[in-house]
Amino acid sequence: MAWSNDDDRRPEDDEAEDELDETDYKTQKDAVLFAIEVSPSMLQRPPAGEKRKKSDDDSPIAAALKCAYQFMQQRIIAQPKDMMGILLFNTEKSKFRDEVRSGTGYPHCYLFSDLDVPAAEDVKRLKSLVEEGEDPDEVLVPAKEPASMANVLFCANQIFTTNAANFGSRRLFIITDNDDPHGGDKTAKSSAAVRAKDLYDLGVVIELFPIAQSGKKFDLAKFYDDVIYRDPAAEAGSLDEVKTSRSSDGLSLLSSLISNINSKQTPKRAYFSKLNFELAPNFTISVNGYMLLHRQTPARTCYVWLGGEQAQLAQSETVKLDSATRIVDKSEVKKAFKFGGDYIYFKPEELATLKNLGSKVLRLIGFKPRSKLPMCASVKKSIFIFPTEESYVGSTRVFSALWQKLLDSDKVGIAWFVARANANPIMVAIVPSRASSGDDNDDGRPSGGTPYLPAGLWLVPLPFADDVREVELSAPHRPPDSLTDKMHPIVKNLQLPKAMYNPLKYPNPSLQWHYKVLQAMALEEEQPEQEEMEDATIPKYRQIDKRVGGYMAEWKELLAQKARSLMQHRAVKREAEEEADGGAKPLAKRPKPIAPAGGRLNNAQLKAAMEQDTLKKLTVAELREILASKGVSAVGKKADLLEKLEQWIEENV
Amino acid sequence: MADKEATVYIVDLGESMADCHNGRTESDLDFAMRYVWDKLSTTVAANRKTWTIGVVGLNTDETDNPQNEQGLEGYDHISVLHDLGPITRASLKSLRSTIQPSRTYGGDAISAVVVATSMIEVFTKKLKYKRRIVLVTNGESPIDDESSDEVAARLNESNIELVVIGVDFDDPDYGFKEEDKSRAKRNNEEILRRLVEQCKDGVFGTMAQAVEELAIPRIKPVRPFKAYDGPLTLGDPSKYQSALSFHVERYFKTKRATPPSASTVVSNTERAGPSQTQTLDEDVETEGIEFSGVKQMRSYKVDDPNAPGGKRDVEFEDLAKGYQYGRTVVPFSESDLNITKFDTKKSFTILGFIPWSSYREFINMGEVGLIVAQKHNEEAELGLSALIHTLHELESYAVARYVQKDGTQPQILLLKPNPAIEDNFECLYDVPLPFAEDVRTYQFPPLDKVLTVTGNVLKEHRLLPSEDLKEAMSDFVDAMDLSNMDVDEDGNPVEYAPIDELYNPTIHHLNQAIRARAVDEEAPIGPPAEILLRFSKPPQKLLDKAKAEITALIDAAEVKKVPEKAQGRRGRKETVKPLSGLDIDALLGEKPRKTISSENAIPEFKQMLATAADDATVESAAKQMGEIVRKLVRDSFADVLYPRAAENLHVMRDELIALELPGVYNKLGLITEDESEVSEVTAEEAKAFATSMS
Repeated sequence: MAWSNDDDRRPEDDEAEDELDETDYKTQKDAVLFAIEVSPSMLQRPPAGEKRKKSDDDSPIAAALKCAYQFMQQRIIAQPKDMMGILLFNTEKSKFRDEVRSGTGYPHCYLFSDLDVPAAEDVKRLKSLVEEGEDPDEVLVPAKEPASMANVLFCANQIFTTNAANFGSRRLFIITDNDDPHGGDKTAKSSAAVRAKDLYDLGVVIELFPIAQSGKKFDLAKFYDDVIYRDPAAEAGSLDEVKTSRSSDGLSLLSSLISNINSKQTPKRAYFSKLNFELAPNFTISVNGYMLLHRQTPARTCYVWLGGEQAQLAQSETVKLDSATRIVDKSEVKKAFKFGGDYIYFKPEELATLKNLGSKVLRLIGFKPRSKLPMCASVKKSIFIFPTEESYVGSTRVFSALWQKLLDSDKVGIAWFVARANANPIMVAIVPSRASSGDDNDDGRPSGGTPYLPAGLWLVPLPFADDVREVELSAPHRPPDSLTDKMHPIVKNLQLPKAMYNPLKYPNPSLQWHYKVLQAMALEEEQPEQEEMEDATIPKYRQIDKRVGGYMAEWKELLAQKARSLMQHRAVKREAEEEADGGAKPLAKRPKPIAPAGGRLNNAQLKAAMEQDTLKKLTVAELREILASKGVSAVGKKADLLEKLEQWIEENV
Repeated sequence: MADKEATVYIVDLGESMADCHNGRTESDLDFAMRYVWDKLSTTVAANRKTWTIGVVGLNTDETDNPQNEQGLEGYDHISVLHDLGPITRASLKSLRSTIQPSRTYGGDAISAVVVATSMIEVFTKKLKYKRRIVLVTNGESPIDDESSDEVAARLNESNIELVVIGVDFDDPDYGFKEEDKSRAKRNNEEILRRLVEQCKDGVFGTMAQAVEELAIPRIKPVRPFKAYDGPLTLGDPSKYQSALSFHVERYFKTKRATPPSASTVVSNTERAGPSQTQTLDEDVETEGIEFSGVKQMRSYKVDDPNAPGGKRDVEFEDLAKGYQYGRTVVPFSESDLNITKFDTKKSFTILGFIPWSSYREFINMGEVGLIVAQKHNEEAELGLSALIHTLHELESYAVARYVQKDGTQPQILLLKPNPAIEDNFECLYDVPLPFAEDVRTYQFPPLDKVLTVTGNVLKEHRLLPSEDLKEAMSDFVDAMDLSNMDVDEDGNPVEYAPIDELYNPTIHHLNQAIRARAVDEEAPIGPPAEILLRFSKPPQKLLDKAKAEITALIDAAEVKKVPEKAQGRRGRKETVKPLSGLDIDALLGEKPRKTISSENAIPEFKQMLATAADDATVESAAKQMGEIVRKLVRDSFADVLYPRAAENLHVMRDELIALELPGVYNKLGLITEDESEVSEVTAEEAKAFATSMS
């Protein structure tokens, strides 16, 4: 039995309460079924002999399976509650769940891995097919007679209906190089269109990933335009493009396909939708909000029961106990605030009143130049907003005009923001982001620095006075001098690539490490070595030395010189002050007349004291103070403290 | 460690304190107590044993003080209501009943100060305390000022601060003067003012100002926390001679303050048993319900198809820790768990530099830190200062990898230079930046053009602003500028809504309500203080100024609200077509659908409704769907088919609500009034139904 006091868990609970909206949003689960066509052309490797890289040696089917494998590996860890499955079609063999059929059910459809949260076994099986090319069941053999697309779509329909009945997001990823599966067969085309409509009505979104082979165009008009739907609420301008994958100069088919699939990795989920954005009294447009930035952390550990044949997940249940360890029923429990050793109780409806400080809204209160935002105006991540025409027709053009103006004038909006009913109000700065892809910069304007993010407006939460800490430190202004001038070339020569911080280039090393270890454990593979893992967050030390080593060495010399003279200057000044002090006051009144208090000894004095062996004259309290000010642990007896201090002086002065 | 405090409040309870003055509808006592209760409850809330409080009543009917007991004269009608010591919620409650206006006025304020002084002297002895006496009075009862000098001398000797706050006392600094002041009051005010002036430490003020200031939220000061103390490097000093290293200290600059959170409690009186709860009479209830906290006990279960309910208890001792890898549970031994932790060493090292232009505030991932040079370290001081100035002069930021201490996860921080421009010291500010995994790549259409299906780029479209709209927006944004709305005496612009005026409304409204309820359990919840909602709407002054621009913008924008009904799903459905625009309904054939199969229930149900000519067809569809749901529930092994049944129900309900035919659904299930105005079923009934279904 594990005990935990309710109050100990408060901070966590509190956090959960605050971010409730976000947790709600995350529980919306996603199910993706890959439908990959198996055909002679899909199995064909690119012709050899041409100037191709080794990496571009994949047949379309191999590229598709590799993508699926990578997708599975990523989502099993990053989205552990989401489902995935793989359906091969146009196969000679047919398989649906436990029944291996041919001629009945779904002929030429082979359900390679059923739609479910993947297990280690699924990953292993797919891996052996993809990496070792092991195909013991001869799955990758094309049918002599092609499958009916209506059948393939209905098969997918049944898989979603039974396995992911109430998932918020269900998506069918079709990978094929055949833009015209039924040719002139009108009946077959019509039945496919009808089955596609069924999928639409079921709430399944079809994402097509066409592959174009050797210069041919994949023509959607031949078949797929009758199959693919887009949310009718979405406007003409927001049409999601169907992007064709192909191998072209420098880009392999595999990487092209991976990039197209990765862009659909997570279904687009709104954090809030149809929020009223009040620009002025009686002037409102509607916006949707998205959480485009969100800190990913390793999953929490769970408890595993090892008493059975297989390791099993242990689910925890909690019961609440009162002071007499009697089990308390849910109906008895009340919420109250601690107050000076007692509790203050509010009725639930009173609590609701207290929390309600206004309905959900984004209300503009005015504008400021972006430069007026204080440097320390950050407390948590920002939310991306984008217009929707669903509540107010014309929202998009107004939003666009505002976005344009804020960019042009480098201004930001200041607004009062309540994300959802009962959410705590916050103040936000509304900051515009520029277009995401490089080719949008044809007007020659600077990119705005964040090409990895879409164009739109961001709600940047401003800190409240309550969130700002007064740090009372003395760090006086110091005019720039030759040291500053000499540092210029160092900074100028160490710009990050493309003069920006692109987060996509910096995977989180601790997260990647966690993923690697977990995957190796689950698949019973060899444990990785941390040294071997690539860590993009480690600076390129050799390059730094090569590029600015000379400048830095020169600069360090100047620094040492300047520091010495400052030290001397201070020592002289201090002596003069001490003399003045000493003269003015009778010695007896001063508690420590011998030396300035420990903490005020500067490094030079400390070194001198060490050399003259006078450090031991310092009291224990003084030693502790000095050590603490140097960030050294100040625990131990006087002898220990002296040793620590001497060591510090040797190393640092 | 917090300083020890000893404060005695002297409250005038004289009969004149029951009167209302100067147009107020509350008595002088209630008015004054607003201030005192707030101070008392704040102290209770702090729950510090070393913050001690005493309360003395002046002009009480009774007399209860040590001086009087010793037979000294002039101490009548002064009572010690709360001995100097820690104050609790219970003390607040009892004070609430004793602090009532009396029928007398014979007490002497200066004698009360002597009583309080002696209380403090006895209690604090010679120990280190912050000593204070706070006198609140309306100055109507006579004061004998013979011993004023003596009392002031004693206060000074004992290091006691004297605060006198008078109801309607004149205060030229604050700008208050009572016009028809009685001679007696004027005289008393003068005596008290002189007394305060003789004190080393004294405050003399008027109550209106004190009460007004109560509304300004008090922010809990937090001592700065040093998060890092060590080198900031450029290059690797262990490998390269050229590498730079400054010893720096990093503190937190912002940290999200959270509202007080409610604890889970049970009521002690209810626990005592139902029989007693029923016999609770009025007296017991006014004593208030006592609550106590609850503990949690955790138990663990695993799935077991053979066990009743499909689950069985397991012992905590038999559990190992592990992670979930998809469906697979992977147990980790203690040593395995250690390798999953990314091994790191405390460090702070610069990756490179970026220009200001490639940074926008929205990539900040969290709270801000502040970096200064180590104290008494000349090299660090000069070195960091040079870095700050260089970054500022080159309009650059540094990007650094930060490991707070051995074993913690690396973070990427953006370092911004502050050469004493903001705040009054030279430092670097830092904000955390996202990693690759933290960025979600959703696609959005461009905002400045429209791409058509055929791949054309349109620059003019109803989704794009016209030139008129662009111009109107530009004028509006410029007119609504907050940065030069107000000017100070010297004509310099004053910033509107700076951070130090933004108070967290949730925190302060809740705290205020808790304090009010601690004093008076019956107190209704007041509206949030005006200052908390000050920035919830644009300043009127600005709206007035920008009136023309706002009107022009509204005209140019031509925004129209979509009627509520049209937002629903109905109506949209008819237009659903694939990209090619093919009419699927036509393909489905002339005959409208009549039957619904279990395996393709949802699409067929939707299609049947879409082509339904009359309510009877709708009813038939609903009936068939109902049958399918029942069969799913019946046939389900354990709860395997429940999600499917639930989804079918869910779709059916949504569709029927959209058709405004909830009655049809209610024949099978229930649609609540909230969900459809047309339905007559209440939420409770629907809930009961849902429970019976599961």
